[in-house]
Amino acid sequence: MNTDSKTMPCSVSELLACFLARDLADGEELQVGVALPIPEAAVRLAHLMHGPNMELIFLGARMNVHHLERVPLPAFGWDRRVVRWAESYSDRGHRFEQVKDWHRRVFFVGGIQVDMYGNINLIGVGEDPRRLRFRGPGSVGTPTLTTHVGRYYIVLNSHTPRVLVPKCDYVSAVGWGAGGADARVKLGLPGGGPKYCVTPLCVMDFHEDEKRMRLRSVHPGVSVEQVVQATGFPLLVPDEVPVTMAPSAEELRVLRERVDWVGALR
Amino acid sequence: MQPRAERLVDEATALALLADGMTIALGEPAPMALVRHIVRRGLRDLTVIASGLHLDLLIAAGCVRKTITYYAGGGFGVPVAPSFRRAAERGEIEVWECEEGILTSGLEAAGKGLPFLPWRGGVGTSLPDLNPDLKPIVDPLRGEQLLAVPAIHPDVALLHAHAADVYGNVQHLGGPGWLDLFLARAATRVVVQVERIVPNEEVRADAWATTIGRADHVLRMPWGAHPYYSRGHYVQDSAFWRDYLAVANAAAESGERAALDAWLDNWCRGPVSHGDYLERVGIKRLLTLHEY
Repeated sequence: MNTDSKTMPCSVSELLACFLARDLADGEELQVGVALPIPEAAVRLAHLMHGPNMELIFLGARMNVHHLERVPLPAFGWDRRVVRWAESYSDRGHRFEQVKDWHRRVFFVGGIQVDMYGNINLIGVGEDPRRLRFRGPGSVGTPTLTTHVGRYYIVLNSHTPRVLVPKCDYVSAVGWGAGGADARVKLGLPGGGPKYCVTPLCVMDFHEDEKRMRLRSVHPGVSVEQVVQATGFPLLVPDEVPVTMAPSAEELRVLRERVDWVGALR
Repeated sequence: MQPRAERLVDEATALALLADGMTIALGEPAPMALVRHIVRRGLRDLTVIASGLHLDLLIAAGCVRKTITYYAGGGFGVPVAPSFRRAAERGEIEVWECEEGILTSGLEAAGKGLPFLPWRGGVGTSLPDLNPDLKPIVDPLRGEQLLAVPAIHPDVALLHAHAADVYGNVQHLGGPGWLDLFLARAATRVVVQVERIVPNEEVRADAWATTIGRADHVLRMPWGAHPYYSRGHYVQDSAFWRDYLAVANAAAESGERAALDAWLDNWCRGPVSHGDYLERVGIKRLLTLHEY
């Protein structure tokens, strides 16, 4: 993503990594799946900035690397260069043996479609499931993770009406279902559901009662109108929409020198 | 008295177990030497339980009719594995839509001799619509909504591990990963390729380390997971997978398969044995894949 030096001292990806990092509390278990560079950076930044008791889970490897000057990159989940820091394998022979305790866990998920209630589609796009126009990668473990984790964040690499749709063609992970604060209780889903949806344009949360997506902040240089135009469903827009808080100099320094020294987010 | 039967076999014997139309489960890391054999033999109409680029390679080679997969991402910046994507979009393969918890529930049901096991992940999603084998049920005790996941019965599980003795006692180094033991418990037959064959005494010296007690066949395949990693031995050869992705992507985009077929010929169909394959990869390249 581009760096716009006129409005922001960093790239949008760096902004989002810092935003997510601030929302993570010390002591939490942070699980990041594959192909999500922004959350990967966010959990490592939070760990260094304010989370000495955080536990990072990259695929199966659970680690605490707060003592390291540079936090290892999870370039490949089972690579010894990463897992040599593991203290245990969270999935020692069974990835889902202890879902009852996942209320402590925080997760991050992307999607090829997301609807206004935070339901996600990783399966595909097209009316005929046997002849999809676009076949997605599949659900991975997201149905189980989003069912059980205490909260999760939806992280999107693009913000267009094709991604943020009125209704997903297929749902691989339930957010707030058909809407309403009791949507998950009615389905018997014990986890806390999606907290924020972050995109290159903005941060969105979910209305307390309706659980519809609501604009929470726009990134520097982005207008509310721009976000509304780029969203394929009617977005709730409060009277006052603040600008997403820019990273501090210290956050950016730690992010660039100790987390993302290869510049993947630049 | 007959001596105790050995389960160490050569490649041809192990592969004689496999036939067109079978349900074949592949462990993680995938037993790539055996995967290359499947391509070389040109097996067809397989149901393949696998998630990753080795699944894509088998689809590219025309071996797959149906796949039970939780993830077919490409990695290396490619969001969807290209041959999988093309074949699924054109209806050339059937996808048994699932996810990790559903897959392990089905495998566990098979191992336990149960018709199904209940699972919560997937309730409220499209998975039971797309995969009618997954039945929404009501828990008879507390009335909760759950999915009944039918037992998944692989005919053969093909796995890669660190070591085994000649009697089929398998030991993984650094743990068995997350899926292999589910596959081993669920499958009718278990075939394990290993980096090393060790004396039975070595197995008995640490019997707790034995992860699979009676594999039907074991094969000695050093570097056999290449281009994947093998814990305690070598890391993933990412450049090799990138090469595959480049030709597979081009074939999926254009339908022009010449480069992809040349790649499959060179790396899968051409070498007549695992030794030939390793010679083709080259000792210099293999030696760059040390642990750190």
